[in-house]
Amino acid sequence: MKRRKFLKNTALGTTAITMPFILSSGRLFAASGSAMADHLVFVAFAGGVRQQESVLQRYLLDSQDYPSEGNIMYNLLNGNSPTDKIVYGTEGTVSGDTPIPKILNQTLESQGTIFKEMVSSHAGHYGGLNTLLTGNYQYTQGLNSKSQMPTIFEYVRRHLGVPASKVWYIGNGIGNSIPLLDYSIHPDYGSQYGANFLAPTITFGSDGVKHLKNAKVYHPEEELDPMYKMKYFLDNVWKSQGKAMPDIGNTDEEKYEIKQFFKDMFEKTEQGIIAHPPVSGGELDSIGYACEVMKRFKPKLSVVYLSSVDSCHSNFTSYVQNLHRADHGVGHLWDYIQNQIPEMAGNTAIILAPEQGRNLESNNIIDANGFKSYDHSDANTKRVFGMMAGPGIQSNLSLGGENNSQGDLLNITPTIAEILGFKEDMMSSGLTATNQSLFDLI
Amino acid sequence: MNMHIFKFKIMRKTILIVLAVFISISSCKKDDPIYDINQIQSNSYNANKTKLKTPGQYISILYANLFQQALSSNELVEITRCIESVGDKEIVHEVIISNFMNKEGVTVPSDSLMRADLDLFIEETYKRFYVRDITEAEREYFLNFFESHPNVSSEMVYTAFSLSNEYQFY
Repeated sequence: MKRRKFLKNTALGTTAITMPFILSSGRLFAASGSAMADHLVFVAFAGGVRQQESVLQRYLLDSQDYPSEGNIMYNLLNGNSPTDKIVYGTEGTVSGDTPIPKILNQTLESQGTIFKEMVSSHAGHYGGLNTLLTGNYQYTQGLNSKSQMPTIFEYVRRHLGVPASKVWYIGNGIGNSIPLLDYSIHPDYGSQYGANFLAPTITFGSDGVKHLKNAKVYHPEEELDPMYKMKYFLDNVWKSQGKAMPDIGNTDEEKYEIKQFFKDMFEKTEQGIIAHPPVSGGELDSIGYACEVMKRFKPKLSVVYLSSVDSCHSNFTSYVQNLHRADHGVGHLWDYIQNQIPEMAGNTAIILAPEQGRNLESNNIIDANGFKSYDHSDANTKRVFGMMAGPGIQSNLSLGGENNSQGDLLNITPTIAEILGFKEDMMSSGLTATNQSLFDLI
Repeated sequence: MNMHIFKFKIMRKTILIVLAVFISISSCKKDDPIYDINQIQSNSYNANKTKLKTPGQYISILYANLFQQALSSNELVEITRCIESVGDKEIVHEVIISNFMNKEGVTVPSDSLMRADLDLFIEETYKRFYVRDITEAEREYFLNFFESHPNVSSEMVYTAFSLSNEYQFY
């Protein structure tokens, strides 16, 4: 090789190596390596949980004035389960009499840090979830409109330069405007930093089987490429009029991968080999598909939303059953990550918090077991718990208590940012209500 | 006698004025310029489309377009739920459209018919999907594209139009 050519090649090579990534945030380099974990799973837990039946472990004592206490969430919490009047399990001889076997050898409470008494200032599901995902109480937020403040998905994608297929938001349905929280309408963030939302029980349920399953997966070069070229031309003509559509920015390769994932999920569903928890059905199926998403895409951030305990408005028995099942689902999810996804095992953190509590006083509805039902509107609704576990998170730490609240749902978003290593960037946006993460309260 | 002469003078003056006005109106009229080119529309063809279709509107219009019949209300609800269950609308629209293309009864011209008269095909496609005439620039692009991509099928063209952003508006 001639000297001049050698020097030219060397210069080009060095430039390629040292050329910094230009992130969409405008930063030259991705956030420094201060992340505590490479992946984070946030479970918006269950959909309106009373402290009394969860962390306080009072089962039927407080709610029904029946002297049976105990822990019905034994994958999450330490404590013995109730021994009397068992209705929270699956159907054995009678409905609910068979508790679901424990999955985790060690509870998440003992694996990590629990905040036993936190504050939620919102009494509605959408508002509460909005708070969890944006770090703001948006009291003027309309139910049928997108968030005005950026979501954690947008912070992650913008400040870490993460592609769309690495940020997932799994909902257990499409009600309560849940799908709208995949991105906000904030002018500095927005759809281009949004998450891939999926409500798998619909996508892969009967509606999806009928209208999505039979889809072709077009050949990427021979069919998709010319099709996209034509579409891009048509869209450019349209864009020249100053009009555009929201787009979360999956690349063509990512879109192809997601469509292939859909195809595979239909096949696995048909074969009955989705990674569902041992007890499945209902929203626990969302957990199974969330496991599949994680195994396939290894997301930087996954948010899983569960809300079945909201049946407590009219059926307390169903509420405790769903609480127990949600615990089972989370136990399975954590176990699956640690044992079935090597790329995420040992470097994934988990955070759990309900979006709100429930009332202290019952309403007038009595269920088939004669149990009183509970809405969410009084001061008890403001009482919630939160927990986190994973790399760098102190284990066996319990903070706060019944008359000593510590932490607020507003602290969740900064906590996610801190674990993933971009808290300073997020704080510099000035768009969250507090700079304090849960770590700052320890 | 004098009175008679006076009347005659008045009448003659009136006739002269009327004649002068008539001549001035009918003469020296400038013709419209003719430049020997076709009239063109100065506004953009799609400028009047300002409203985004709802998922229900989009899917029912698309179905009617592809199948030449109305979608049942049950199916409309089911497909709308499918659309809402996936965040990336481009992906879910593409999956639904390819699902439609796999169904019996879809009305798509054959590839041989398309290739027989590409000019007519693309003109008709613009009218069918965008309810407007094609512009010359668009015609030029597509004719060149079809020439350089001999394997592009009518289904692929219809899918591209169905997925395009302009089709999301009305």
